[in-house]
Amino acid sequence: MAFEFEYHVMWETVPLLMNGMGLTLYITIIGLLAGFMLGVAMGLFKVSKYSWLRAVSSVYVEIIRGTPLIVQVMFLYFGVPMAMGTRISPITAGIIAIAVNSGAYIAEIVRGAVQSIDVGQTEAGRSIGLTRMQTMIYVIWPQAFRRMIPPLGNQFIISLKDTSLLVVIGVGELTRQGQEIISTTFRAFEIWLTVALLYLLMTFTLARLLRMLEKKLMKKGVV
Amino acid sequence: MVRPMIEIKNLRKNFGELEVIKGVSLTVNQGEVVVLIGASGSGKSTLLRCITRLEDIHSGEIIVDGHNVHSPDADINYIRTEAGMVFQNFNLFPHLSVLENVTLGPIKVRNIPRSEAEHLGFRLLEKVGLGDRAYHYPAQLSGGQKQRVSIARALSLSPKVILFDEPTSALDPELVGEVLAVMRRLAEEGMTMVVVTHEMGFARDVADRVIFLEKGVICEEGASKEFFQNPRHPRLREFLGRLLNDHAFSA
Repeated sequence: MAFEFEYHVMWETVPLLMNGMGLTLYITIIGLLAGFMLGVAMGLFKVSKYSWLRAVSSVYVEIIRGTPLIVQVMFLYFGVPMAMGTRISPITAGIIAIAVNSGAYIAEIVRGAVQSIDVGQTEAGRSIGLTRMQTMIYVIWPQAFRRMIPPLGNQFIISLKDTSLLVVIGVGELTRQGQEIISTTFRAFEIWLTVALLYLLMTFTLARLLRMLEKKLMKKGVV
Repeated sequence: MVRPMIEIKNLRKNFGELEVIKGVSLTVNQGEVVVLIGASGSGKSTLLRCITRLEDIHSGEIIVDGHNVHSPDADINYIRTEAGMVFQNFNLFPHLSVLENVTLGPIKVRNIPRSEAEHLGFRLLEKVGLGDRAYHYPAQLSGGQKQRVSIARALSLSPKVILFDEPTSALDPELVGEVLAVMRRLAEEGMTMVVVTHEMGFARDVADRVIFLEKGVICEEGASKEFFQNPRHPRLREFLGRLLNDHAFSA
């Protein structure tokens, strides 16, 4: 039997995928909010004058960057509860995994951006009597943050796509829902295509939003 | 009454193996303008940076207005408000307007209200001839204008002394004059200043005292008139001779 592209299946499937897409967005947004805070803290630890803070941050980044996300997810959902004697929901595990994973990459983005600001800026800040903390808040961070936006956008998009790996612990996000619909309709081509287009819609929108933020923050002549 | 503003006692400083300041002692009195000259690598910029602890020192002592700068319990943030710094590369804050560059210190360090700080900011910008540039950003200014803003920023905390680290070295030649003019006016108003510069005209006309550093030691110092009319040390004669050949004295 020749393959026939059933265009209407795509339209019919979209509403059925909305719950999954909503869950994907929910996990992405909460996970990235937490991941961003974690990443900023760890990134600033890396440029701290205290060596133990730098060490904490380095160990965290190396462990997370050096292991696959899928292993982290499995460990968090199946491994940790076994050791602790409690269970966590797949969604909670998913959010924690996205947060902890993106946090490591965001830490590196933050560290790189902060270190890219000329040391003369710190010297000028300290020379008008600002403390280290004030110099970071009022002088370094605003400049560094602008430089972070493009790589952060990259990371946000990666993390959004990474939520599809949560199928392995049964989170009913977009990919999982697509799989389930295929198991009853057998229209793999149309439905995977629809799922792909929905991911594309989300990542494209995210990229546009970040681009707008970048433009808004760009003041006259400032790079 | 002569009051010492900066007292440097037997200062030594090294970067790793390299000793760049080898026992310098120097007193700068209130209201005095002292110019430091010397070849690159002579330690003059490093000496200046040690005064506000932008560099650590190896041994010796630096006292700024009675505060021991390098003692562990020194309130360095306070000392830095007493000793302002003007950098070769301006180091203006590019994300802040000219006015915000000048008011950041008063608002955050002195905790004075924004409206009052802006009033002060405008007054300082007028003083350096940039009252009409308050809402510009540093990237929109020429080098000479940037350096004048950075002088206004240093003045914003009403320091007792201002340290200038080669303030005109990064400027196009035609922009040097406007910055030196501002510095002259400050000197006339009685500001205590320590200036690292290659502008010999400025040193001759404005400085009370000129100090020639060579390989980390004070090689010669004197009142500016005699200093240039009668350089004694052969190294100084050689240094001045080289500068004369390069630029000729200009005011």
